[in-house]
Amino acid sequence: MYRVLKVSKSYPYVKNILCFLMLVIWHNQYAQNDLLFDAQKLCNEKNYEQAIPLLEKIIVHPETKGDPASWHIRSYAYLQTYKQSGPTNTAKISLLDTAISSALVSISLDSAKGYSDNNYAFIKNGAATYYKLGTILLQDSLNTGKSEIFYQKYKKYTAIINPSFDFKQKDIEYYNTMGSIFADQYMRNNFDQKHGDIAKMALLKVLELDSKNISANINLGILYYNQGATLMRMMDYDVDLSQLDVIQENAKKLFKQSLPFMIKVYELDPKAEKALESLQGIYSALLDEEKANEFKQKKEALNKK
Amino acid sequence: MQNFDPNAKVKAVFLYNFTRYFEWPEKMKSGNFIIHIIGTNNSLSGELNKMATSKQVGNQKLEIKNSTSLDATIKPHIIFILSESSDMLKDISAKYKGKGALIVTEKGGLAKSGSAINFVAIDSKLKFEYSKTNAVKAGLKTSEELKSLAIAVD
Repeated sequence: MYRVLKVSKSYPYVKNILCFLMLVIWHNQYAQNDLLFDAQKLCNEKNYEQAIPLLEKIIVHPETKGDPASWHIRSYAYLQTYKQSGPTNTAKISLLDTAISSALVSISLDSAKGYSDNNYAFIKNGAATYYKLGTILLQDSLNTGKSEIFYQKYKKYTAIINPSFDFKQKDIEYYNTMGSIFADQYMRNNFDQKHGDIAKMALLKVLELDSKNISANINLGILYYNQGATLMRMMDYDVDLSQLDVIQENAKKLFKQSLPFMIKVYELDPKAEKALESLQGIYSALLDEEKANEFKQKKEALNKK
Repeated sequence: MQNFDPNAKVKAVFLYNFTRYFEWPEKMKSGNFIIHIIGTNNSLSGELNKMATSKQVGNQKLEIKNSTSLDATIKPHIIFILSESSDMLKDISAKYKGKGALIVTEKGGLAKSGSAINFVAIDSKLKFEYSKTNAVKAGLKTSEELKSLAIAVD
């Protein structure tokens, strides 16, 4: 009896607490939705950097973290912030990473597929940016590693939006670009071995994919020839005769390595002047004057036509 | 491809090395050390002229001469008869007999026909035949060591 009486006495108090809690929950939910609205508004006003702190709260709150819209808007805000930082800003690349990962979360939550098209567009945009950055970084020999990481990210994100995408042509294009840039750098940097090795690795990758690729065959042939010629060029005039024999032997190996690539180009295109000229030079370096003259004459005949 | 002729460089290195293995007559140890090329090979001339800017033979400066025929005014230490001028070997070896000129050629068999050194291509490498007899006839003191590095023809 005492207990019943006690409960009944406290009932209005409990009721008030329950009302207060409901109010708090409702307000909290309202507040989160309000934040999302505010973030979206800031994005519409292109104030992406101000929107980001709001979005960071939204994506961790239990009421909104499962909402694909939250992650979608976050993706958009980060993507735009990255773009505002400069079209090829590698220092702020984490913004692009966050944009893409947010789009992926949004996709995973978006069972109604209300944001799919835009999310995929963001990822496609990010992938294209990675490809662009990858090729730009190739120009800087110190960033080859980073360039390849970006290129791999391009492939990873492209595969998400298009799982059946065939990367063969892109790989050929990317590694051919790398090969020709580094072959050029090898020449410009006083035949620095490091540049030559990177060029060789890239061009061999191209030939793994397409053994008939003319550009890669020419560049590899020239690269091997140049490496042999460099050994000779760097040799001092007073190197002793036994050492001269060793240098000749090493250069000969490189000249011989260059030969199959140039022969391949010649077989693919017998009128390729570059191949005729190079074969003349390679055979001459190998002291095969008969063959050197054969290609010299072929080149002259070609020029007469 | 590099605008560079590897064979010209190898020949220049050989020619410079030969100056260590022969001794020229006393009267030729003053003035410039003259290498006379008979024939036309612009790469070789360029390479030898480049070498002349940084190297010398003992105290003698290197001087490179180039002509397509014999020039009596030139007193060479080395005469390099290019392949295209090989038919001049007989005249040249007769004219320079005992005068202290090392005759170098680059066509098969010429070490047996008057030159002391003859470049040959063996297994895609430049090597040289050596005729001690012809070197002595030319008035040069020779080194036995060179024979071990060369393809001896006598």
